[in-house]
Amino acid sequence: MMQFMQAGEAAGSVTAQFEPVEVGLLRLASSQLIALLEAAETHALGTSGDPALRRLLPDAYTDDPDAAAEFRRFTADDLLERKVRNARCVLATLGEEPLGEVSDEPDDAALLAAAAAEQPVTIDLDADDVQSWLRTLTDLRLTLAERLEIGPDGVPRLGDDEAPVLYDIYDWFGMVQESLVYAIDI
Amino acid sequence: MPKTDERTDLRGAVSLDRPWITIVWDDPVNLMSYVSYVFRSYFGVSAEEAERLMLQVHNNGKAVVATGNREAMERHVEAMHGYGLWATLAKADS
Repeated sequence: MMQFMQAGEAAGSVTAQFEPVEVGLLRLASSQLIALLEAAETHALGTSGDPALRRLLPDAYTDDPDAAAEFRRFTADDLLERKVRNARCVLATLGEEPLGEVSDEPDDAALLAAAAAEQPVTIDLDADDVQSWLRTLTDLRLTLAERLEIGPDGVPRLGDDEAPVLYDIYDWFGMVQESLVYAIDI
Repeated sequence: MPKTDERTDLRGAVSLDRPWITIVWDDPVNLMSYVSYVFRSYFGVSAEEAERLMLQVHNNGKAVVATGNREAMERHVEAMHGYGLWATLAKADS
């Protein structure tokens, strides 16, 4: 991926080129985030529940469980809805095409099409898209950090085979986000 | 003797009580550049002040980013959660 740069006349618009595999990765991750958020039952977030969701919607009061529950009751649905909307915006800016079907026996035509698709993809974002991207990249990193068991020192505790790949993805999302922050904030 | 509305009096007493604060806590995930950006764009502080607050979060584990009444602090906390920052509110000095 090339760094995001300011684009055109419209204030806050940016553009960058992504490799098709990067677009696919962002699509997949955003879709998974939407699935996680849509399956969330906000009323059950109190003391148990998915740690990733608890980090996405943390307690607003550290020493008052009743006030924290009350705050959650009034804000969690809205916050989740906005997070889903942001992730859907990211998907929309990545293009409408669904992820390619994975075939067990790829024919020549499919292989040719795949090779032709290896051109970098230009992603243009307006100021609102940028806000959705920044927030969704954060939500993706927070979710991955829970999965990687990243401790307060920033070091992942997860030691399974998947960990290095997950950490690379986590790191890359951070790079994309930082590139966006620098592009809009001169 | 003029009548007083006890509930109004009570509310007055509450708002004269210690103010509330919004605290942003350090987390290992959010990038320093992003946290600084959020402070600039949401609270409208200068780049220098945003940087100072961000470093306070980073070095001290937390920073008070706003002070005021409880409703306003709840709005700030909700906004911070929207950005993915770890924020809480509390009474000042508690």
